[in-house]
Amino acid sequence: MKDFQEYIESGRLEQYALGELDPAARAEVEDWAARYPEVRRELDELLTGLGAYAEAHAQVVPAGLRERVFGRVLAEIGGVASAPAASTAPVAAPAAVPTMRVSASNPRPAETYAAPAAAQRSGWAIAASVALLLSLAANALLYSRWQQTSTELVAAQNSQARFAQTSQVMERRLSSTQEQLHILRSPQEYKMVALAGTPAHPTAKARVLYSAAAHRVYVDVQQLPSLPAGKQYQLWALDKGKPVDAGVLAANTAAGDSIQQMKDIASAQAFAMTVEPVGGSAGPTLNTMTVIGNM
Amino acid sequence: MSDLPLISTPPAAEAALVERLRAREQAAMTEFYDRYSGALYGVINRIVKDEEEAADVLQEALVKIWHSMASYDNSKGRLFTWVVNISRNLAIDKIRSRQHRVGSRTQGLDDSPAALRQAAPDAFRPEHVGLQEITSKLVPEQRQVIDLLYFGGFTQSEAAEELNLPLGTVKTRARTALKILAKLIR
Repeated sequence: MKDFQEYIESGRLEQYALGELDPAARAEVEDWAARYPEVRRELDELLTGLGAYAEAHAQVVPAGLRERVFGRVLAEIGGVASAPAASTAPVAAPAAVPTMRVSASNPRPAETYAAPAAAQRSGWAIAASVALLLSLAANALLYSRWQQTSTELVAAQNSQARFAQTSQVMERRLSSTQEQLHILRSPQEYKMVALAGTPAHPTAKARVLYSAAAHRVYVDVQQLPSLPAGKQYQLWALDKGKPVDAGVLAANTAAGDSIQQMKDIASAQAFAMTVEPVGGSAGPTLNTMTVIGNM
Repeated sequence: MSDLPLISTPPAAEAALVERLRAREQAAMTEFYDRYSGALYGVINRIVKDEEEAADVLQEALVKIWHSMASYDNSKGRLFTWVVNISRNLAIDKIRSRQHRVGSRTQGLDDSPAALRQAAPDAFRPEHVGLQEITSKLVPEQRQVIDLLYFGGFTQSEAAEELNLPLGTVKTRARTALKILAKLIR
């Protein structure tokens, strides 16, 4: 069975995942996916990947817009108050529930008409009706206040949770920034090794900050050529001419966006970087050497 | 990855929500909103690049989702995939009609390769931590392609033209990027 493999490679599935296909072509992809579990798996993987990308862009709907959007949505999909009222009212004002139920199902309670003969009793009935109406109005008002308050409470809790998350992340960032600052401000502890581009890559430039006492190694990229897919930069420490693996560079390090701590190195006289398959190699591929520098 | 709760929602919980939405339970819509609006709004806003307009599109999308719930088929994919596609299509329609008026489509994306390298460091938002983690796994070239295809509404051939690259390169980059992204979830 070679053909489903070919189908996977054809790029059709990516087009499907990205929504480029017309309904007929979509149906064709779904048909393949139904027939071959391998195609299904590949397609699911692509969809999951895109989903992750989409979700990574999540943003909280700004507070003012949130009320507007959700209010309008509820208004468009049906009445707003009736459904939640019945289930939530008991919590707010237990005493009011019977009255509200009566009013919802039968707006003119039967008791009001129970004994119309006696004028006095009818007077009482009117008074009772008025009292009932007033109580209904009061209940409605209290209910709407209560609902508003609980919405506000949820909003406040949400923003508190967001704030807590923000400060946690900030703290993490701050400590990593402080660490980087400490490294850059301790020239006696950290020696700076400039790595210059090899003749094949004259514009490449990076530096290594090395603490011989602590054995710590940090790498800071100024400029490196972009990599083909499936490759990663790997740093090597050269100790008495022997290359020692110092770890691979994360994509944002290679792009120059941040300083990265590498593997600890006990002793080194020079550092160099090569291009290796993702995950790194046991030994350097010398013809891919991009930068090198002596201490 | 803990930052991605929607993708990893257990299918059973998702199916239960779908059932309730199909039963026209408004409380289910509230739950749906609480869980999904952030992700949908993020995608929409990223496409239309205007908070007010994004809110309008989000509203439109939610109403559409509510009304077309019956046509959702969970054998074809996750709920999130389906709803994000509805939102994304509405948002892309929006910019297309806007660009039609303005008469230029290349203005749509302000992402020069330089801008792609750093995701707006001035506007720090904690919900973007997941984004940073994810995008640090992609090289800028891959991210540029995916952004054009996903948020710019470009087809692969249009993206090739826009970036002045061979179509094959665009395809490879898109495919590699999607595979890297998929691996992050497992």
